[in-house]
Amino acid sequence: MDRGSRSRSDAEVSAADEPIAIQTTELTKRYGEDVLAVDDVDLTVYEGEIFGFLGPNGAGKSTTIDVIMDYVRPTAGSATVLGFDAQQETRAIHERVGILPDGYGLYDRLSGRKHLEYAISLKRASDDVDDLLDRVGLDKTAAERVVGGYSKGMMQRLALAIALVGDPELLILDEPSSGLDPNGVRLVREIARDHADQGKTVFFSSHILSQVEAVCDRVGILNRGQLVAVDSIDGLRDALGTGSTVTLTVDAVPDSLTLAAIDGVSDVAVDHRTIHVQVDEATAKVNVIDRARSDGAAVLDVTIEESSLEDLFSAYTGDAPRQVDAPEGER
Amino acid sequence: MTPEPIWLTIARKEFADALRSRMMWGIVAIIAVMTSLSAGISLLVPGADGGPEMAIGGASQFAGILVPIMALIAAYLAIAGERESGSLKVILGLPPSRGELLFGKFLGRSGVVAIGLTLGFLVSGVATAALYSGLPVSAFAGTTALTVLLGVAFVGIAIGISAVTSTRSRAMTLAITAYLGLTLLWDLAPNAVHLLVTGEMPGQEVPGWFLLLQGFSPTGAYNALVQRQLLGAGTAVEARIGGPAPAYLDPAVFLGILVAWAIVPLAVGYLRFRRADLS
Repeated sequence: MDRGSRSRSDAEVSAADEPIAIQTTELTKRYGEDVLAVDDVDLTVYEGEIFGFLGPNGAGKSTTIDVIMDYVRPTAGSATVLGFDAQQETRAIHERVGILPDGYGLYDRLSGRKHLEYAISLKRASDDVDDLLDRVGLDKTAAERVVGGYSKGMMQRLALAIALVGDPELLILDEPSSGLDPNGVRLVREIARDHADQGKTVFFSSHILSQVEAVCDRVGILNRGQLVAVDSIDGLRDALGTGSTVTLTVDAVPDSLTLAAIDGVSDVAVDHRTIHVQVDEATAKVNVIDRARSDGAAVLDVTIEESSLEDLFSAYTGDAPRQVDAPEGER
Repeated sequence: MTPEPIWLTIARKEFADALRSRMMWGIVAIIAVMTSLSAGISLLVPGADGGPEMAIGGASQFAGILVPIMALIAAYLAIAGERESGSLKVILGLPPSRGELLFGKFLGRSGVVAIGLTLGFLVSGVATAALYSGLPVSAFAGTTALTVLLGVAFVGIAIGISAVTSTRSRAMTLAITAYLGLTLLWDLAPNAVHLLVTGEMPGQEVPGWFLLLQGFSPTGAYNALVQRQLLGAGTAVEARIGGPAPAYLDPAVFLGILVAWAIVPLAVGYLRFRRADLS
């Protein structure tokens, strides 16, 4: 699977005039006088991409999704989904979208199978219940039991299956990994990828970066109701300068080392036969290796360490001091 | 083949749920036992000269108290319960609109109450026929139909309450308030007004507006209609007001009131629910 072909920068896309899956325009949601849950958010998600919607708990992710799904009405601004107005053309949207909502509930007295049958009949879909169960890894005997006795993980899988009913054009997953074990988390990623491979869109919210990093083409970061960044993961790294550290092990460090002159290199440190190069742009990594060799060093080993997304996240959301320079020596 | 309307799918599911939870059989059992007992009571009173009409009247008195409670219990959590548990987000994330959901719930729960009441009344009809060796079928059927209508009116009130509240506890508070207000408190209202207007408590003979005021609550309208059904047109009213019955005491007025009690709270609930933030 080629994630690179799907990822792109904002500038490329707006020029390409691609069909839009979700668009919010100056979207604002206030609760009462004091709470500004969503503050003037302009967000565009294109068809066929996996979009990660990131932010700490309480940042306004679920509220944004609530408006998109018409669970709540915006105070100002608007939202469209697959070209339909979220408030005026709700039916058309809900026929084409599958959602795993935040804070959802299920019917305790109904079996898993009955839940799916009900969702299929309401969506006028023709899915096979057993297929859906298979896709989310819920076994058939469990599906015959009432949901009242389900574990959190089983409920999450069932809710995910309900979202998949009718093979929706847009899959909205609000914190899909909560309550799931590592297998379940992997399953969510596989479902998202499968979906996108069919040319469909996935909108995936999470407060945990690692869950989004592995699967998303682009991410938007929401903090205190404001959209503070939208980019590919690589693009975010570049933009923040919290790039990566390229560590070269060489036979001998040449006297005339010119790595610092390469575009995108912010720092070079030498430690015996090891060279640590701080890189801000992804493309500079290869240049560093090439230059080291042309400077006369035989490169014995290369390790590349990406700055963690947690650092990125903190830099945007202000939860931790911004960390630009990676510590030296200890690597 | 065109698919069935979405509200019908919802109504069906509501009905099936009620069967599964045995709610309907509870209604049947309570109504059957209580109305049969109250139909038999007049036989036990020495000297009371009661025919089967009196028996049906007694049963309807009981139904007027019981049916509102059962209908409210059957429906007050229909929306609020799902809102609190979060299953509302799942359903409304699927194609149904809020209006369709409300209507489907109203229909499904009304069906449960209607069928439960009808079966319960059938049992007491058999009991009455056995006790009095005979049953005025049309009066009995009419009373059953009116009781069903009373039940549906309270389902409408309960769904309306459920639609404007976001938690189970608030829905329960409102449902209890509605019951007390509409059945118990309302009986006192005409007396209070009479006292204010005339300076004395109502006696044997009352003004026409007093009966209208009594009949403005769902239970009041139901009682007025059942009396008319059992005692014959006009006589009951004319005896109370001591003269010819004015047009506003026509049974059609009370029927309109009863139907309005089903529709208006439902409509108000819908208008509020349609705009509500469900978060």
